[in-house]
Amino acid sequence: MAVIAVENLAKSFNGSPVIEDISFQVSGGEVFGFLGPNGAGKTTTIRIVLGLLQPTAGTARVMGSDLGRNDALRRSVGVLLENNGLYGRLSAYDNLRYYADIYRVADPDTRIRDLLDLVDLTEFAESPIGNFSVGMQRKMGLARAIIHDPAILFLDEPTSGLDPEAQRLVRDLILDLSREKNRTVFLNSHNLDEVQRICTNVAILQQGRIRAYDSVEHLRASEQTPVYLLTLADPAAAERACTLVRGVEGVGSCSVDGDVVTVSLDGAAAPRMLRELVRAGVDLIEARRVTRSLEDVYLDVVHRSGGEV
Amino acid sequence: MKGTVTVARKEMRQVVGTKSAVLVALFFAVWFGGLGGPAVAVIGSEAAESTLDTGVFYMGLVIGIFVAYLLSGQVFLREKQEGIIATLLVTPLSLREIWLGKVIGVAVPAYAIALAGVGVLVGVANIPAEALLLPSPPVIVHLVVAVPLFIASAVGLLGFIQFLFGLRENQILNIVIFAGLFFLLFSMQAVFETGIAVTWVQVGATVLAGAVLLGVTNLAAGFLSKEKIVRTIP
Repeated sequence: MAVIAVENLAKSFNGSPVIEDISFQVSGGEVFGFLGPNGAGKTTTIRIVLGLLQPTAGTARVMGSDLGRNDALRRSVGVLLENNGLYGRLSAYDNLRYYADIYRVADPDTRIRDLLDLVDLTEFAESPIGNFSVGMQRKMGLARAIIHDPAILFLDEPTSGLDPEAQRLVRDLILDLSREKNRTVFLNSHNLDEVQRICTNVAILQQGRIRAYDSVEHLRASEQTPVYLLTLADPAAAERACTLVRGVEGVGSCSVDGDVVTVSLDGAAAPRMLRELVRAGVDLIEARRVTRSLEDVYLDVVHRSGGEV
Repeated sequence: MKGTVTVARKEMRQVVGTKSAVLVALFFAVWFGGLGGPAVAVIGSEAAESTLDTGVFYMGLVIGIFVAYLLSGQVFLREKQEGIIATLLVTPLSLREIWLGKVIGVAVPAYAIALAGVGVLVGVANIPAEALLLPSPPVIVHLVVAVPLFIASAVGLLGFIQFLFGLRENQILNIVIFAGLFFLLFSMQAVFETGIAVTWVQVGATVLAGAVLLGVTNLAAGFLSKEKIVRTIP
């Protein structure tokens, strides 16, 4: 059974559709990336899944239940929204203690100490959150979201405002939760490099509809004419190499930039191309297949569906 | 119930920790209590006890509601403005537990501050008095039962309004409520002049009215939904 199952979800505000026919599933232990430009409908979808909004049509189930109507189920869910959910006048300890009490965490003092240690804020335990930097507050927000060791974690831009070291800490934490503890993570992020590194499946939302939904690997591999970068030992041979390559069946285009030759071709043509170059005595230092990044895929999808990024 | 207690405890701690809000509330409570004291003393020279009763009866209610108004914004509207409420709504707490916890968390300190205001009123009224002036038993019952009921109702209704409406509507309502409460506080003099003795019947009727109002507030809270709150977060 899918941990999160969204089917034909739609929501309108005052008659204007915000999302339409959204469907996706998230399995247990998966890190799922939910992507899209601002205004695409991500927040509305997340709010419906969390039970904060009622859908106009369709269903959003978490562990088979409507999260908004199941108080007990929400005990299994941790959420970090755009707002950290923290009280500026209360200390770091008091903020975490409040949520520990709400979730009835056993041995809250130990858990709070461990979490403050995890996010490297132990020395600020008694300081009011309002005095913290944006990054420190975000880390506190994350600590708050996992205080009860939830089975499912919803994270909205968890690394926003964090320095590179803290971003890595959060990434490692998410991967650890998913791989070691089999926790399910629903991640909304504009940081596509981060998504590419940690997510297994993604959905790309644009203008209220899902425009792409697949594993990161498939999305990066799909709809793509393979591109090879050839680095030559002798840059002067580049034009000759290009002429040779263009004669190989299945090669689409070839261009030269210094000592690097860029060739686009269908997958089966690659061995033929390399054989031809070696046979013609062109010395190659490197031949590398270029894989599209998730960012390339995202930009393609968003542009294709006529939106602004 | 445990969730309600958790929320109430945190709200109380936060309200008391918000020194600016508490000081403003204390200032108004003591100021109006202090203003009422001499009025009672002057007007009540011939019927001191009944005038004090009228003052305490009226002041206890109005100061309590005024302080509740001053403090509730810290707990309901501020949490909504800052967006924290969305996080709280996805915890295992029900919306009613959150609302009720907040009502208790504001009503308790508001009641304590209102009692301080009434204490000042009684103290100042006693300065020129030849014998110790104390509120009559019906007025004490009124202070102990009716005033907390009205304060809780006021906090509950204010919380309901602040959760239900957007920022602009809340700003307009704030001005209207503030003006109304100020008018009530400044109309004390006219009330004192009546010097009507407070009877058990009046107190019973006030307690009943408070209980009904609290019931209505509780019903009103049932109309709140997560969607209504989330959609009006600025």
